[in-house]
Order: sequence, then structure tokens, then C-alpha cells
Amino acid sequence: MYKLGKIHFTQTEPSSVIRTSDGACIPFDPANTDYIAYLKWVSEGNTPLPAENT
Amino acid sequence: MSQLQVNRINDASGGVLAPISSVMRNRIINGAMVIDQRNAGASVTPSTSIPTYIVDRFIAYQDAASKFSVQQDAGAVTPPAGFNDYLGATSLSAYTVTSGQLFILQQQIEGYNVADLNWGTANAKTVTLSFWVRSSLTGTFGGSLRNSAGNRSYPYSYTITSANTWEQKSITITGDTTGTWLVTNGIGISCSWGLGVGSTFSGTAGAWAAGNFFAPTGATSVVGTNGATFYITGVQLEVGTQATSFEYRQYQQELALAQRYFHKVTANTGNNYMGIGTGVNTGTSTADIICPLPVTMRATPSASFTGDIYCYDGFTAPLLSSISAVYGGFYSIYIGVAHAGGSSAGRGIAFYTRNTAASSFSFSAEL
Repeated sequence: MYKLGKIHFTQTEPSSVIRTSDGACIPFDPANTDYIAYLKWVSEGNTPLPAENT
Repeated sequence: MSQLQVNRINDASGGVLAPISSVMRNRIINGAMVIDQRNAGASVTPSTSIPTYIVDRFIAYQDAASKFSVQQDAGAVTPPAGFNDYLGATSLSAYTVTSGQLFILQQQIEGYNVADLNWGTANAKTVTLSFWVRSSLTGTFGGSLRNSAGNRSYPYSYTITSANTWEQKSITITGDTTGTWLVTNGIGISCSWGLGVGSTFSGTAGAWAAGNFFAPTGATSVVGTNGATFYITGVQLEVGTQATSFEYRQYQQELALAQRYFHKVTANTGNNYMGIGTGVNTGTSTADIICPLPVTMRATPSASFTGDIYCYDGFTAPLLSSISAVYGGFYSIYIGVAHAGGSSAGRGIAFYTRNTAASSFSFSAEL
């Protein structure tokens, strides 16, 4: 399971995704293997939780 | 004083030995198994069907739960002469591997670090893989070299003749002239050692194949014998037809090479403060932090933490609650965090851990 993440005031769109199993924050970098795993998870029909407004 | 001048050096069979480079002769990082940032020598049972890093840069992978454990210096045997550490796998049951299952150790080498091999071209260079291995089992073992797409593989085999005895193995592999081999920050070559490989992922030893093979057909299954051990160290992959002596690198060099892929900040016990970054509070319980990285990382890293991380603003030191976002960067990264509160927007932050090795902050850009 994943949850989208963003920085409070500067962003309107998420810039990261949080892996809820361990809280790891994963950047939207196509070379990051955690992000590649997230994209695979999404391609399997899953949807991340929305980002929280902080 | 005498002087030796030669144009080339031939091996015993008349082949030309490649020049011996003094820098990055060994394309394997942490081949002597010295660096263990994640586990600090603790035993790990790999996750099921998820690559699990053990000593730095080395992956353990198993397709069924709890069939083997891995640990730096498992079993506390004496390493081979010239080494102080090894990577040890121990079988936890007598398991029969099914056709589609894998149990392996592996290092994935970044494409930039093997770009000069020219694999996938007519100029592909021959390489030699060497390592020290010790097992409670004897027989034919093996592994493979593969490309990132998993459609080019070279299964190799070697024989362990004496149980519980360190033996050095050397396998020379003619460079692959076909296939696609990345020369970027992606996976250049995956180098594997089989601990139990199903028939789907096993191929003919000693030849390149258009398939995804991790071991030669018929190799010994370590996970097939309860309590069996498989220890390895002194891993070297180099250009040429001969295994040369292991390339020792200074500790800080080896650590820096490993930190391109993983960096962990942890504090020892005692009154020990270990800085992670500095930043500013953006609210009573939120902050933005800039974390410098010790080396240029392979990609923008993922960030994670365990235990107590402090966000000290000069008045109060709330604990980190979560990381909410990571911004890109290879030299430093910018993170947004939430903490336990009680602060005020505009206050600066010292971001650190202290006094316990159980708390840490990690950056991962693994392959």
C-alpha cells in the first residue's frame, strides 16, 4: 500500500509516494527502484491513498 | 638498477593478458564483505520474493519464506587468508525447489561501471569472475551473469571438492557480443550465485543464452539440505582471462562506493549526536529539511527512518513522526517532515539522532 506525499505549501501536486509498510518516502524518479516498484503496483490496478494536507 | 620494459604479457596459453589497472580493476563493490551498513553483522532472513540487501551491494532473494538466512560472518569461521569478513547463507530447512523458484545471492553492477566492456558489440571484452567459497556441501554449484532485461544470460558452474573448506574459484567468460547491456545508471550486469534454482531459471553452463537463467542446470541446492552453509568472499569481476589478486580498496573508498547506493546515518550508544540535516519549521509540527549526501547517489534516494530522530529548534526537540515528501537531488535531498509539534514556523532545525544505534535515517538508491 502507498500514500501520495507532498510538501505543505509549495506544492499542489504530489512529488513523492510513501510506502505505508515502513514509511519510506519515495521520490518520483524513474531511476529509483522503489518508484519503479510503485509504478508496477499501480499498473496492477491499485490506487494510492491521497496526500494529506499539512 | 634493472628495468623491465615489455609491450605485452602473455598467459600460459599464449593469450594476451589485459593490462592490470590499479583503479576499479574489480567491478564488484564490497567484494570482501566488509561494509554492512544496514545490518551491522546481524542475521537476516530475506523477505519472500523481494530482494533483500544484506552486506552492502549484495542481495539475497528467496521465493519461499524462511528457507535460508544470511549474515556477515555467519557461523564465525576463519575467513580465507587475507580476508576478515565473508557473506554466509545458512539453509533453514530441507526444501525442494519448484521449477519457477529462485534462491540466490546477487550483486547488480551499475552500467557506468562496466561500460568499457562493450558487451552487446563486436568489441565485447572477456571477463573473469573469481571468489572464495566454502560450503558444508560438495558438488557442482553455479550462478550466472545476466543483463538488465533478463534476456541474456551466461550460467557458469564450479565444483566444491571439500566440505567446510575455503576454495578459490575462477570463471572466465567471453564477452557477450549480442543483446542489450546498459551503460547508464541502470543495471549493467547482474552477477548471481545460486542456492537453489528451479528448472525454469536454469540453463546450459558455459554458454551465452537468450534467456533469464540464474544457474546451470543440475546445480547443487543449498536450501535442499537443512543446516547447509554457503559462505563467499573475495568476489572480483575483472577484464581479462586470468583472475588477478583481489583488489583491496581502502575502507573509506569502499564505503564511498557503497554509499552511492545506500547511506545510513546512525548514532552509537553514549552521548553521541549524529547530524542528518538542517532546516526550518514551516508550522508547529512540520518542517522542511535539507540533508547532504556523502557522495553523489545513483538516483534520487528514497528516505526512511527508525527510532528517535530529533527536530531541535533551540527551544524544544520534538521527535520526527513521518516523512511526507522527498524532492529530487543526487548531492543532497530536500525533504518535508511532520514531527510531534510544539514548535513555531520560522524556527531553524537541527535534524539528528543520538545515543542509540537503534535509531537511524537511511537513503536508498539501490539498483
